[in-house]
Amino acid sequence: MNSETLNTLDSYSKNKYKYGFVTDIDNEKPKKGLNEDTIKFISLKKNEPDWMLEWRLKAFSKWKTMKEPKWANLNFPQIDYQDIYYYSAPKGFEKKPKDLSEVDPKLIETYNKLGIPLEEQKVLAGVAVDVVFDSVSVATTYKGELEKLGIIFCSIGEAIQKHPDLIKKYLGSVIPAGDHSFSALNSAVFTDGSFVYIPEGVKCPMELSTYFRINAENTGQFERTLIIADKGSYVSYLEGCTAPKRDDNQLHAANVELIALEDAEIKYSTVQNWYPGDEDGKGGIYNFVTKRGLCAGKNSKISWTQVETGSAITWKYPSCILKGDNSIGEFYSVAITNNFQQADTGTKMTHIGKNTKSKIISKGISLGKSQNTYRGEVSFLRKADKARNYTQCDSLLVGNKCGAHTVPYIDSKNNTAVIEHEASTSKINEDQLYYCRQRGLSHEEAVSLIVNGFCKQVLQELPMEFAVEAQKLVSISLEGSVG
Amino acid sequence: MNIQDNYLKNKKNIFFTENENVENHREILIKIFENDRFDKKNNESLKNVNLKNFLDFNYKYLVPEETSVINNNNDNSYSIVSVNGQCTSFKDDKIEITKILDEDYNDFSKNDTIEKNDHFVNLNSLFLNSGFKIIIKKNNNIKIKISNIITDDDLTIFQKNNYICEEGSSLNLIEEYENKNNSTSNILNVIKLEKNSQLNHFLIQDNAPNHNLIITTHSSCKKDSIYNQKVYNFSEGYVRNFHYSELIETNSEADLQGIFFLKDNNTSNNKTFVKHLAENCKSNQVYKGILNDRSKATYFSNTHVDQVAQKTEGYQLSKGILLSDNASYFSKPELKIYADDVKCSHGSTIGPIDENAIFYIRSRGMSKIAATKILISSFINEELSSINDEQMAEIIQKKLVRYLSKVK
Repeated sequence: MNSETLNTLDSYSKNKYKYGFVTDIDNEKPKKGLNEDTIKFISLKKNEPDWMLEWRLKAFSKWKTMKEPKWANLNFPQIDYQDIYYYSAPKGFEKKPKDLSEVDPKLIETYNKLGIPLEEQKVLAGVAVDVVFDSVSVATTYKGELEKLGIIFCSIGEAIQKHPDLIKKYLGSVIPAGDHSFSALNSAVFTDGSFVYIPEGVKCPMELSTYFRINAENTGQFERTLIIADKGSYVSYLEGCTAPKRDDNQLHAANVELIALEDAEIKYSTVQNWYPGDEDGKGGIYNFVTKRGLCAGKNSKISWTQVETGSAITWKYPSCILKGDNSIGEFYSVAITNNFQQADTGTKMTHIGKNTKSKIISKGISLGKSQNTYRGEVSFLRKADKARNYTQCDSLLVGNKCGAHTVPYIDSKNNTAVIEHEASTSKINEDQLYYCRQRGLSHEEAVSLIVNGFCKQVLQELPMEFAVEAQKLVSISLEGSVG
Repeated sequence: MNIQDNYLKNKKNIFFTENENVENHREILIKIFENDRFDKKNNESLKNVNLKNFLDFNYKYLVPEETSVINNNNDNSYSIVSVNGQCTSFKDDKIEITKILDEDYNDFSKNDTIEKNDHFVNLNSLFLNSGFKIIIKKNNNIKIKISNIITDDDLTIFQKNNYICEEGSSLNLIEEYENKNNSTSNILNVIKLEKNSQLNHFLIQDNAPNHNLIITTHSSCKKDSIYNQKVYNFSEGYVRNFHYSELIETNSEADLQGIFFLKDNNTSNNKTFVKHLAENCKSNQVYKGILNDRSKATYFSNTHVDQVAQKTEGYQLSKGILLSDNASYFSKPELKIYADDVKCSHGSTIGPIDENAIFYIRSRGMSKIAATKILISSFINEELSSINDEQMAEIIQKKLVRYLSKVK
């Protein structure tokens, strides 16, 4: 390795988190710790009906008997669940602002710093944004327009009040509270998140989008998102997040449930850029996310796209249960880890119905001293006749102190199902680098170009609004990094 | 009967019970069995295994009356008959065969290549009752054929063999497992390849339905050495093939290949693990399986590349054909890579026989069964045609024909 490459790597790993700033807003919090009182406090604050509180307490009693899942290739200190605030809402937010002018100007400023000005986005991008600041929904835009089509897009708290039938029917139907300890924890203490219902035959005319943001110190953020696409409907949902710089580790355990009924299609895209910790591996978000989609009806389709660049720890497996005949599941992922970041991410495709298809494209890039693992399970059950899966997972290593791992689980119980899996691991091709340099690109530009090309297959799956942000993120993760 | 009682009761028939170190280690093993929760989800060695059968068994061992024979033909080839896991000592200027000794009782709990909770390896260490040690002396080119024979029904053989290939030596080792009685063999092969040596290891497994074979290999390769392993599993009984290889010095190679043919209610568990611990090493792991009726198979493959092991090439391939509705195949091809200048890949496919190919052959006037058989043969043709030994190729061809005759 020549000295230039070494310099490049050095500057790579010194690349600092650009979005590290903190907004000072008084927080109203219950006491630290997790017990029945905390849950009752959350439920009371959110004005929830009794059945919801019961549901939470049931999940809590399950959580008490469970241990954290251990399969992941991650090292982190034991999480002290009693040392975390489970509810934090900026003061005075029990009454929701009606429009943006009522929102705390400091909040708006924060978003401006992040380059996602609400006003501008409203006009330019035509995106309805349900912003989550800490745990309470701040502003919802474009609501009226969506309402005309019968689309429900609101915070989960609001949905519990206004649409209890849908919540009772679907909440926890894809991710049962007792699935594993993080899902039980989330079910017990979730504070906010989004709820989307697309009625029969409606194609949602715009990308629905939510920006999540953790702000208060020591506040675990427990989002709960539920998206239901009724027969023949279509929706594309975007989720993106950045978090301010803090030294204490913050816990994030979100649950996302998708349900696609007959002929419905859901496209769920994520750009995740939580604070990854500093270059010594101090601080950073612990991100334990459970995402699961159920293709309940015939010909339904669920597609996950994710760009993961942040978090000290990423533990995330967006999965699809392909129950309806002819249903389709897709998973596209780019995961970039730098410094001391650890990512264990992948997917799970469970083929139950006939003629079900799934496709997995995963790209992992490891830099610095990070560890990047792809972990995916594809299973064909007995009745999944003619089911089909294609999996490709590639890893790129930059530097010799990082690790890239691939752990696929493949299980076939049907003799008409076909499964193909391939994976490769290598470093950046010297010939490609040489070629780019020869044409006058700097080392940095060349690496950035090659990495962007490496990820292209995934990035092109993102909706336009997001693709730009994602490409920027990939470049930022590499930028200071190279040259 | 629990493991501890079983051990204490049969102590007189077990090796090295006098040795203090061995006994201390065994105490630890017994504790592991007592405390383990046998978590099938997280312990690869337990997947598809009938726990009750292997934890609660009747220990029975007979010391062979007739000592085994070694024929020394003049052309550097030896045939060994191992009876109940034992064979007579032998020595000439090329090879040396002895009983296994206290000092050969390796403590595998300290080696992190073999999974700590691989209970079959632990059982082997605990109940060890047979085994031998073969040393191939410097710069010799040797061929050895070992026939493993078990004399009685219901025997439990816990055998440990050590192979040492000295510098510059080369060994063609053919092992045959063809037993018709319902016994259980648990065999651990520990192989050491010195500088510039080579071992071509063939395992032909063809046991009767009630015979269980658990075979584990651990090979370590020094500079410029090559370990080739080929497993042909035609058994009708349970077979577990777990093979580990460590490339500890530069320029060494490991090639672990296997094919298995399953039918009826049979189960086979397979695992290959290559650990790259030095620069410029190569490895290859290829397993192919054909599963009929209600058979089940698992295949775990794993390439681990250490931080110092630059310029590594590590490849994996796993292919499975399911011939029946009720067959199932689980594969987990894993890569763990800590070095950046590497070329590693894995591929895995599971599926039925290609319908288009069947259609093509049938349109030329062949029956469906004939077409299926042709396609199965071509699926594994690469592995079969690479066998250099004519005699062996013939044996394997015969077994393949026998398997195909049952395919409907």
